[in-house]
Amino acid sequence: MKELAGRLTALDPDAGAAVRVIAYFDRLTEHRAGLEALVRGAAVLAGCPARLSDAGRRVRLRVETDGRRRDTEQPPDPDWPSAALSPDGAPALWLERAGPPNVVDAVILERAAAAIRLVLDRTRGRAPSAHADDPALVETLLDATAPEQIRLHAAGRLGLDPAAPAHAVAPLGGPPRVLAASALRAPVPVEGRLPASEDSARARPAAADNGSAGLALPSGRVGVGPAVPVLELPGSWAAARTALRFTADGTPYSPGPRVVYADELGGIGLLAELVVPGAEPPPDVRALEAAVADAPWMLTTLHAVASTASLRAAAVEVSVHHSTLQDRLGHAEALLGWPVRTPQGRLRLQLALTMRHLGRT
Amino acid sequence: MTLTPPPFDPELAAVLEMIKDAVPPQLTMDEIEATRNGPGLAMLADLDLTLGGVFEVEDRVVPGPENAPDISLLICRPVAPATDGPLPVIYHVHGGGMVIGNNRVGVDAALRWAGELGAIVVSVEYRLAPEHPHPAPIDDVYAGLLWTADHAEEIGADPERIVIAGASAGGGLTAALALLLRDRKGPRPIGQLLMCPMLDDRNDTASTHQMAGLGVWDRTANDTGWTALLGERRGGPDVSPYAAPARATDLSGLPPAFLDVGSAETFRDEVVAYATSLWQAGGVAELHVWPGGFHGFDGFAPQAVLSQACQAAQVNWLRRLLAE
Repeated sequence: MKELAGRLTALDPDAGAAVRVIAYFDRLTEHRAGLEALVRGAAVLAGCPARLSDAGRRVRLRVETDGRRRDTEQPPDPDWPSAALSPDGAPALWLERAGPPNVVDAVILERAAAAIRLVLDRTRGRAPSAHADDPALVETLLDATAPEQIRLHAAGRLGLDPAAPAHAVAPLGGPPRVLAASALRAPVPVEGRLPASEDSARARPAAADNGSAGLALPSGRVGVGPAVPVLELPGSWAAARTALRFTADGTPYSPGPRVVYADELGGIGLLAELVVPGAEPPPDVRALEAAVADAPWMLTTLHAVASTASLRAAAVEVSVHHSTLQDRLGHAEALLGWPVRTPQGRLRLQLALTMRHLGRT
Repeated sequence: MTLTPPPFDPELAAVLEMIKDAVPPQLTMDEIEATRNGPGLAMLADLDLTLGGVFEVEDRVVPGPENAPDISLLICRPVAPATDGPLPVIYHVHGGGMVIGNNRVGVDAALRWAGELGAIVVSVEYRLAPEHPHPAPIDDVYAGLLWTADHAEEIGADPERIVIAGASAGGGLTAALALLLRDRKGPRPIGQLLMCPMLDDRNDTASTHQMAGLGVWDRTANDTGWTALLGERRGGPDVSPYAAPARATDLSGLPPAFLDVGSAETFRDEVVAYATSLWQAGGVAELHVWPGGFHGFDGFAPQAVLSQACQAAQVNWLRRLLAE
């Protein structure tokens, strides 16, 4: 090898040399050679030192042309020929050679990088964040019919601690997600409010601000299942999908919380079983629809009354004077046919608003 | 008996892929002439003998065996030795299956040791089979050693500190030289370094069958080499131990031996058996079997990690030997 291979690049950089390089790295891969052997191959075949540096996987090694490993703290020269380990990744493999790469250098870099990527995937695994969205693994974890060992393995691949609780998360129109409970704060019950209000969502923010995009709640409407041991995640997933039905866009046309936690629904959650989307709505919902059609302010005003602690707070919420709110509610009560300013009437309003939500397709 | 071969070391497998055209596993009698002039040999012999200016190099023609032609010795002396006194000698015997090669082949390994240890390298040219069957090669090797011991002072060497060393056929000739020096009461080397030595003309161990058609120097090539050296006598009842040291029945009284061999090569079992026989005869021997190594891997792929370990073991043994 020393002469034949070492002189490879000194020869005409012809197809023969490239074919030998390809065969060399193919054989290393076939025999499951390690990282150092691959970097050594690049150094010996190119006739100059080669180095691998991948910060994400904490891999750094450098091999000289005599095959000996001599790592360095010095940063690589940006002018050296280099290759990334993924199509859009940063350079991770360098040949320490000045000047433009020749054809054989390019083949060496390409084949060595591909072989190194295989070894890293096999021995280090992909970074956990890369797995967090892996739909096949999440699907396995949420499938109650999958064997427990398989589900535990999937949890591990997703970077979940099998001993720690996790939430199943149901985004509207997106693939299921699983989040470690440690990534979300504990539920904060808010006295005197409808469960799953926007306030409670704020109390447990998406984890986007903890710097790990892989652990963040998805944006948009999201139902969150209860925190459970990983093997009980299929149940959490069912609850998350139910919670999703209680979410709203948070707009004037669809006021309400975008994030709903199943474990904050309490008995309200039972309504989901009673109301079939698209079916004939119950009388209170029909009355509500008629009222909403009557005035543009109706829906937001009724939602404010149902979801705040006092009429004063409701007036602030919809930015009207207290007396204006009183006038509006008098009009609404006439249309609905029941009072909304008594405890019983307010509960009836809350239920009507919720059933209207659940009945939508 | 299983014929499943042990796997090659990953790096060495890749190197084999690289050199397979230049160094095929098989060798037939018809191919000897072409191989002598082929790229595989050039690859092993084409090197800087001064090791970057560390050595001064001389080709010295000295008398051969009685009634035989002169022989050529390649003498490499350190340009700036660490001491003024006489230096130890590594007496090197090249490989090539008894049929190919010259005294440049594989001498780089000896030069690396000598560079580290401050020694002189003497590499002997010997006549090749089949034109020159046994005992021509071993007689030339023996004559070269006698000259080196007798003229030690002339080349700045210490005749009391000669290590004999060789790879493959050169390892077999080195083992035979140790037997010959013992039996003829010649100069006594302080050690014999036998790298993947070619020891047994019978060519019938499990490893010879296991590795047929694989790696470097398979069973067919081995048959060619031994037949070239011994003709009809190969494998028969009357083969001299000076031709095939595995035939020796008395391995007592030999200098300390270092033996190494790859697990994935023809010679594995005969080398292990020879080391065992040395111990059973009350001798001193160090044996290394390198997993997944093909024949001569440390010469063909000196950069590979297994080769680095193998070279380190060789130089460590020499360092201990010469420190005594």
